[in-house]
Amino acid sequence: MLRKILLPLILSLLAYGFWISPDFKEISAGVAIFLFGMLSLEEGFKAFSGGALERVLQKSTDKLYKSIGFGMLSTTIMQSSSLVSVLTISFLGAGLIGLTQGIGIIFGANIGTTTGAWLVAGFGLKVKISAYAMPMLVFGVILIFQKSKGLKGIGYILAGLGFLFLGIHYMKDGFEAFKSTLDLASFGGTGLKYLFIFTGIGISATVIMQSSHATLVLIITALSVGQISYENALALAIGANVGTTITAIIGAMSSNISGKRLAGAHFIFNMVTGLIAIVFIHQLMYAVDFVSNFVGIANDDYTLKLAVFHTIFNLIGVIVMIPFIKHLVIFLERVLKTTDRIEHMGCDKVRYLNDSVLELPTTSMAVLIKETHHLYQNAFKIISHGLNLKEHHVLSPMPIEEVVKNTYTKHPIDIDAYYNCNIKNIYGEILDFASKAQTRMVAEDIEELYQLKLANRDIVEAVKGTKHLQKNLIKYSNSSNPHIKERYDIIRRDLAELLRDIHTIGSSYKEDQNLLLLAKSKVHIEKYDIIANGTLDKLIRKHLINNEMATSLMNDSNYAYNISKNLIEMAEILFINEHQEMIMSDEEVATIVKKG
Amino acid sequence: MGVKKFIENVKVFLELDEFKKSSKKKSIQALLKKLNIKKEEIHTSLEKVFNEKEKNLLEEELAIILIHIKNGEEILDKLNR
Repeated sequence: MLRKILLPLILSLLAYGFWISPDFKEISAGVAIFLFGMLSLEEGFKAFSGGALERVLQKSTDKLYKSIGFGMLSTTIMQSSSLVSVLTISFLGAGLIGLTQGIGIIFGANIGTTTGAWLVAGFGLKVKISAYAMPMLVFGVILIFQKSKGLKGIGYILAGLGFLFLGIHYMKDGFEAFKSTLDLASFGGTGLKYLFIFTGIGISATVIMQSSHATLVLIITALSVGQISYENALALAIGANVGTTITAIIGAMSSNISGKRLAGAHFIFNMVTGLIAIVFIHQLMYAVDFVSNFVGIANDDYTLKLAVFHTIFNLIGVIVMIPFIKHLVIFLERVLKTTDRIEHMGCDKVRYLNDSVLELPTTSMAVLIKETHHLYQNAFKIISHGLNLKEHHVLSPMPIEEVVKNTYTKHPIDIDAYYNCNIKNIYGEILDFASKAQTRMVAEDIEELYQLKLANRDIVEAVKGTKHLQKNLIKYSNSSNPHIKERYDIIRRDLAELLRDIHTIGSSYKEDQNLLLLAKSKVHIEKYDIIANGTLDKLIRKHLINNEMATSLMNDSNYAYNISKNLIEMAEILFINEHQEMIMSDEEVATIVKKG
Repeated sequence: MGVKKFIENVKVFLELDEFKKSSKKKSIQALLKKLNIKKEEIHTSLEKVFNEKEKNLLEEELAIILIHIKNGEEILDKLNR
């Protein structure tokens, strides 16, 4: 509702401003070009984030200091804290990093973003950067039209930088011309009242432009031509820092719980930092003078002094907040809880899939693998219970004969209900996510994705097979006919053993052992197929089981065989990572079965 | 020089493909080493075991390991070519 009113209002105000002042038009155009440059720059870096950046993020965020360092460095290079925030939210949502690491990255990004002020104040205003902007734009746009993803990315980065430079140039020109008609500095003043007023203006400007970087550049350019006083510029900078969290909060509203928590942490951090800056503004100004003298910045070089101020107060914020990160995490996890209706009904839902990672192919693949593991865990439980086995017994070192004896229930469980609640929706979402993620993947990744889809299908088929198997399994496991009981117990035993082996494979990194276990399982299911090895014929011939039992046993043996095959094929895809080519083919399995 | 050729030249200069190949080779070699140790262990066990069922199981395991070793050596050959 607010947006519906706000947008026409802003557009009308801008139109009125353009009508009465051509200089205001130039400044606004400068801001617009600058913001467009930032979008283009983000687009360019996204082209390179399909691997390297994600791998670096994964590896460099295991310790808090590394997370802060990563946030600082990546924001400095990309000059976009929002892209770093988006990446962090994606990783957090995907469960690849924890909230503590995520907060560390955001803290680092806050320090990294201060380099923008240094670049603009130290380089952007001292050199005629529009001269660099033109060739960058030309080269950039030519490269954008290239087919290669890498060249396109470079093109976007060049064009982005070109637009940034051009935007700064227009802002500077606009403010210089504006000065001759209206002296904005005359509206300013000193004291607490103006500190709050200008902080408020800084907040509003950042919320409207959705970028603290743009606000800061605007402040620096206005300051460079004397359109605002140094004191008021400091207050505006504080406001820009607080305003950026409001942008993050608006962005996080449509995000998952991880995004909301991170936005919460960002908000608290910037509010605390802003408060510190307001309360200790005089001490900070003294510190800025001291540092400026120390590094040789002229006393009247207010733009560079603003950059020093911006860096100092963000650094102080990080230093003050570091000891409280653990408390912050606990607080955010307590205040922002997952409230999912399906979860409350006892149903499971996807844990890792999150549309925000769709633009990052490597991360998309990582979350799909994690979600498939999640689906497998749910299936493991259903299959165990469907086979009338206790899951914790299957996972324990208890002798397999004992596991089979200790039944889970006397009545069949409602596998359909479990399937609808814990498999179907997750499987559906995995397929949906995979088809969306595929559009951004290269051929090699698409092949891997296809295999992963097959693994998911195998899991679902195994659960469906268990549903068919369950009915007779419960019936004949309690039968007075010892022969049919024995056969069904063997089916349960073999499947229990396979489940245990697959669990061992899934939790072990010894590929030689895993390959051997899988191969053995493959041989086992072929060797002990009662239809193929003549056991069923023998039971019928000797009248040890009746016709009804024989039909059931034949069908159910087939179900058990298919469940085993599905589980093995799933394990080959999901758990054998490095040596897929070493897996035994069906022909090789047949040779061993023949020998035996 | 075209961009593609330039990228290819950089890849050759930095030996990026070779790096991938050599790490794959190393991991296969390590796996083969483990499989060969396992093969020797089974051979030793087979000499000591007289129980037919156990013997059959060990022979089956040995057959699997021999296939894995064969597959591994074939991959290694391809990588060395």
